[in-house]
Amino acid sequence: MSDDIHTLAGPYALDAVDDLERARFDRHLATCDSCAQEVAELRETATRLADATEVTPPARLKEAVLAEVARTPQARRARAARGGEARWRRWTAAAVAAGIVAIGAAAATYVVEDQRVRDAQAQAAQVTSILDAPDAVVRTGDLAGGRVTVVLSASLNKGVAVVQGLPDPGTGKAYQLWLIKDRQPQNAGVLGAGASGGARVFSDVQGADQFGVSHEKAGGAGTPTTPLVGSVNL
Amino acid sequence: MAARDDQPRPLAPAPATGDLLTQVARGDEAAFVKLYDELAPRVYGLCRRIVRDPAQAEEVAQEALVEVWRTAGRYDPAKGSASAWVLTIAHRRAVDRVRAEQASTDRERRVATEEVPYDDVVEQATARLERQQVRRCLQGLTDLQREAITLAYYRGYSYREVADLLGAGLPTVKTRMRDGLIRLRDCLGVSFA
Repeated sequence: MSDDIHTLAGPYALDAVDDLERARFDRHLATCDSCAQEVAELRETATRLADATEVTPPARLKEAVLAEVARTPQARRARAARGGEARWRRWTAAAVAAGIVAIGAAAATYVVEDQRVRDAQAQAAQVTSILDAPDAVVRTGDLAGGRVTVVLSASLNKGVAVVQGLPDPGTGKAYQLWLIKDRQPQNAGVLGAGASGGARVFSDVQGADQFGVSHEKAGGAGTPTTPLVGSVNL
Repeated sequence: MAARDDQPRPLAPAPATGDLLTQVARGDEAAFVKLYDELAPRVYGLCRRIVRDPAQAEEVAQEALVEVWRTAGRYDPAKGSASAWVLTIAHRRAVDRVRAEQASTDRERRVATEEVPYDDVVEQATARLERQQVRRCLQGLTDLQREAITLAYYRGYSYREVADLLGAGLPTVKTRMRDGLIRLRDCLGVSFA
């Protein structure tokens, strides 16, 4: 889906994209100098909208900020000149990983909080490596009223999928994710019981031509119940 | 880059925001205080606008400002102005907060029952923008461009949610956000070298 990626420049500059769209656009920016220039200008423009919101903060905010600053060490500088881009990508990866934690726990929405991000370092590293892979491809699709985003890297032979907004599976039921290779389904993870969305990292992606979601009893099944809830071509 | 000087010199012009941020990156707490004074009203105001609840907005503003301190070394002047960098951090955090709220409240329902969901923000924005160039430039947009941009920026809606709220197609909303921002940029004369 490399169609009309330029049109994401507006939503991107306004932070009106989801984490995976942001990752996809970041990757595009890294290879498109004119886009980077345009996005920088659109961000500057969006920032001007903040000028209109100026409100004098309560004095206690300053005290609180300065007190926290006094005990907060500074992060090391970005490794290279391209640190800005790398930073957004790391942030995205951490956010997606945090989403994995949060979605599993509750609803199909990313809950991105610092603590969760820190708690999710292990997943973050995995997701980062997938999003960072030079050959990563992103596929998105609508599915049973929800939405699925799949990022695959053939070189790492790994993928990450985020599913959002499916109908309530019902008590004791769960959605299961499948990679389909030449009509053969392969388990790509089971979402939480009763969860209408979630994210999973999986491996052995080579040769997959479809990504499917099935409706199963909680804990998942060895083979998918058909018909599938939906599928996306990879 | 201005010469470093630890002694405040009241008669000298205030250092540019970018220079302040560079000093902050070196651990200069006094420079951070100046940066705070310059940007906190916008950071806090933006958080208030997006998060709405004053206590939560204060919390988000605090997190954002401490993040500025913590990550100042990553600011790259080649990629934009210092104030845009700071306000982007604040905006992102505020948007994260309202989206996280979605997890616990049914946003769809809230939107449906909220009084005048977007006229309200446009009106508020417009009222606040009085006497500002931004207001004039926002008025120069088409209704759809203006609503799409203000819903996303001031309320933290994703472009998908904006499309739902406005009953417009996704490609249309994406395109309006982009060409609306381009028109705003030209009207405001935004550029950076």
